[in-house]
Amino acid sequence: MGGGGAFSVACTAQMQIFIQTLVTGIVTGCLYALIALGYSMVYGVLKLLNFAHGDLYMVGAFIGYFAIQWFGGATALIIPVPLLIIFMMVVAGLGVGALGVAIERFAYRPLRNAPRIAPLITALGISFILEDSVLLLFGGFTRNYNAPAFLPFRQSIHIDGVNIWSVQIIVVVVSVVMMFGLRELVNRTLFGKSMRAVASDREAAEMLGVNVDRTIAMTFFIGSAMAGVAGVMSGLAFGQISNIIGFLAGLKAFTAAVVGGIGSIPGAMIGGLVIGLCESFSSSYISSQYSDLIVFALLIATMLVRPQGVFGQPPLQKV
Amino acid sequence: MAPIGVDEWVARSGDRREQNSGWRGLLARLDSRVGWWPRLVLVGLFALVYGKLLVGSNINYAQTGFNVVLYAILALGLNIVVGWAGLLDLGYIAFFGAGAYIYALFSSHAFGNLPLSTGGVQLPVVATIPIAVVGVGILGLVIGLVALRLSGDYLAIVTLFVGQAFAEAVNNVAPGTLGGANGLFGLKGFHVGSAMIGSTLGYYWFAVIVLLILMAFLHLLDTSRTGRAWRALRDDPLAAEVMTIPVNKVKVMAFTFGAIVAALAGTMFAAQQSSVFSTNFSAQTLILIYACLVLGGAGSIAGAVLGGVVVTVSQQLLSSPIDSAYLFYGILVIVLVARVRPWRHLAAVVAAIVGFGFGVHAIVGAISHRAIAGSPGSSGWFAGALRHFVIVPAGSPLTYGNLLYVAMICMIIGVVQLKGIRRLVAVVPTVYVAICCWEARLTLDPGITAQIMIGAILIVTMAARPEGLLGTRRVEVL
Amino acid sequence: MAPLLELDQVSLSFGGLRALHSLDMHVDENEIVSVIGPNGAGKTTLFNVITGIYQPAGDIRFDGKSLIGRSPHRITGMGVARTFQSLRLFLNMTVKENVKAATYGGTRATPIESMLRLPRARREEREVEARAEDVLGFFGQRLQGYRFDQPAYVLSYANRRRLEIARAMATGARMLLLDEPAAGMNPPEKLALRELIRGLRERFDVTILLIEHHMDVESELCDIVTVLDNGKVIAEGKPAEISRDPKVIVAYLGSGGGAGEAAEPLLAGLE
Repeated sequence: MGGGGAFSVACTAQMQIFIQTLVTGIVTGCLYALIALGYSMVYGVLKLLNFAHGDLYMVGAFIGYFAIQWFGGATALIIPVPLLIIFMMVVAGLGVGALGVAIERFAYRPLRNAPRIAPLITALGISFILEDSVLLLFGGFTRNYNAPAFLPFRQSIHIDGVNIWSVQIIVVVVSVVMMFGLRELVNRTLFGKSMRAVASDREAAEMLGVNVDRTIAMTFFIGSAMAGVAGVMSGLAFGQISNIIGFLAGLKAFTAAVVGGIGSIPGAMIGGLVIGLCESFSSSYISSQYSDLIVFALLIATMLVRPQGVFGQPPLQKV
Repeated sequence: MAPIGVDEWVARSGDRREQNSGWRGLLARLDSRVGWWPRLVLVGLFALVYGKLLVGSNINYAQTGFNVVLYAILALGLNIVVGWAGLLDLGYIAFFGAGAYIYALFSSHAFGNLPLSTGGVQLPVVATIPIAVVGVGILGLVIGLVALRLSGDYLAIVTLFVGQAFAEAVNNVAPGTLGGANGLFGLKGFHVGSAMIGSTLGYYWFAVIVLLILMAFLHLLDTSRTGRAWRALRDDPLAAEVMTIPVNKVKVMAFTFGAIVAALAGTMFAAQQSSVFSTNFSAQTLILIYACLVLGGAGSIAGAVLGGVVVTVSQQLLSSPIDSAYLFYGILVIVLVARVRPWRHLAAVVAAIVGFGFGVHAIVGAISHRAIAGSPGSSGWFAGALRHFVIVPAGSPLTYGNLLYVAMICMIIGVVQLKGIRRLVAVVPTVYVAICCWEARLTLDPGITAQIMIGAILIVTMAARPEGLLGTRRVEVL
Repeated sequence: MAPLLELDQVSLSFGGLRALHSLDMHVDENEIVSVIGPNGAGKTTLFNVITGIYQPAGDIRFDGKSLIGRSPHRITGMGVARTFQSLRLFLNMTVKENVKAATYGGTRATPIESMLRLPRARREEREVEARAEDVLGFFGQRLQGYRFDQPAYVLSYANRRRLEIARAMATGARMLLLDEPAAGMNPPEKLALRELIRGLRERFDVTILLIEHHMDVESELCDIVTVLDNGKVIAEGKPAEISRDPKVIVAYLGSGGGAGEAAEPLLAGLE
């Protein structure tokens, strides 16, 4: 039959869309996972929903943007591209990490023994201040990394009609490296041990000689730094940044942390991927308008079926 | 918590005696003597005086008055869920929005996609308010039932998503009817037959009456079995369940009551604005309502109302340059007076700030005249007084103001970390930088400044007095 | 006469751990029964299954009606009230409100009636007020007068224990379960507690089931002592018999344990 050939062509086109969507989903998912890890770590040690975490990601994206401008702008770079990318990530990581530590020191530390609602409200306040400070300093318009100007799409890997852009590879590789680094850090090092100790019982850990303040500060530093790096990578991969990208990204990353089971590192990674894939598939196969709604519905459904998430431990209740 | 065997009440008797002397003690004694309904009359009288005296002079005052009462009502509703029942509901905004949208649907051209001129469905207020209240009450019931499976932070997360999903949904679902991002406009106001509320002042009076009734009802509810059940649930859900309180039912009831109050506020909001947009019901508005409740004191009716007044009035003040200057310098003075003790330290700090300012101004002026050629952002007599104090370069460039802003934040964080005499010394340049930053940058963008101030209010309240202005200190067993 | 409370082959496991193992037990009307047993014997779990916090296998009947499958607030409404070993007061509510809160199940006014202070709401408020003062009055001056309007968190440890008992009584209990009421008390306080428990039975005509860690002062007033170990009843009888029961001594000392000093805590107060 003559229709067979046409059918196979259509199928390939569908496959291309599928794979392209898959790649976008994985890239987005990696970014969400990086932000989610910070959320999860902070929740683990302080039992605090750090609503300002998404805004740290936004600050990271801005630091990356200004790094590009510093070196001559996207179209007229004065240093080699790999150097620029490493520089952006390091500066954003250190800068946002330091910002996270400052926030912890200034706003959360005095509230360690306050009622549970106090740090939560403070986190909302910090989120407000970060968003509006960036608005005050840099204005509310959308900026563009314009990454294709120095990392052209031409340098993509082409497989059978599917394009994988070098930036996408960078995002996935850096994310995976950071996640495994974090896992090793938590499982192998003394810091990881004290972090887990603080997470399970802060007072007991303190009595046994764990430096709780330093451990919490370190946790904030690592979590925030990862959000900062994620901000840079999202700028590279998606281009547009503004002062309000933090809230929604934070919310979605948070969904990822919750879906995976808050407090669990592999959970956050898998949760991030699930949310990223869910978002990219629903926007390319159902409707881009509804993709946020679908993600929200997924979260609510997960929470109702399994409140502690897929990998989380149910909380113990002592009667 | 008291160590075993020690009764805190007895242990603190000395503190109490000390507290009962002086003007604070007088206030406390007055507070314990006056019953709840004279206080309500007081609130009513205040609203009446405000309405009669000030409103005639400026249309903005009527709008401010209405906003104050609206936010007070919203905070009261949130207080039921968060303050009494202790359920952290971050989706409260959805109930407010749903109330507004339901009102909009039944008093506009929205149904059936009619052109604006036809008027569409325009039910009288005696129908729209009950429809909105019942509709949103059912929504609250459903969300409350869903929330039964969750507790603590998980509840906060899911409700936050419900709130976000609401804004997303009205933006994207059925754009023909709900108007999408363009919202619904040209709504008919509150009307019965030919009688109609036509002015902001009218809505102000309507809202005041609703507020007073609501305060009375909520007080009576708080002191009834339902109120006790909510507060028991907040303190210890398991003990509440074992003490004959059907915890699930009581939780759902809290959600429903909160939703109903929010819906009432929503109808008034939509009618007064005569339009609704999904952006009216964003996370920003939610945080503003939380700011009202937290600042005033969660768990206290008077606190919720006071919080509504303080937050809304400060927002309003911040939008006008001269008023915002009063607010800024007022807060500065209050903070210095409250935090710097004893008096001679305060005097020294103030003198140092003044001397420091004029000194720096003179030095910078001697180096470059252009660097001090700009004029302060405040208007009125402040500007004249500050001209030789603050450093504002010619044309007051944004970069300069931005640098000052960053410096100010860093210095505030630094001051908080320092102790004793070092802190006193560090306060001097910090206050000076803050004043310069205010004059050179913050007054230029009043909208953004207002948001930053709300954030700062939340943080400072939580650090200094987590129970809020009128709340009572609570203990929590973790 | 049928027993007031009857446990019939009650079992409960957490994962692989058997907390209660085919437990049979009964408490007659107006008795004071003490449950003792070493740590982890299942004493508090027993209270949790009776009050509906955990759902066990088997049957529990109170006054002839099964309690299985009922939620805790209903069980308490039927007349089985309890206190907690780790005090669970409503710390931020006043002393009086703590007691009033426990009358929720005994009142019917809807929120609307309360908001409008309709006749039923007003009548119930008066009754609740009287009930609270009556129950608190039982404890003498300790929880009276100026104490009424103090938040519960200012109370001393012993007064918190008293308030918990008052709160449980305010539910209209016919049977009171006391979870280690003597924990953290010194000898004179324990003596006072013994009088208090005896007084409770006389004044409110209530049946009492209480948990103790080992036999102590208050065991003297018990009609029956039940010894629990590994989720099973290993002995049951009058206090004097129990303290001589070899199985009980083994349960406390372990099978290979020596005698002498370690047996003392079990027998303390009975010499």
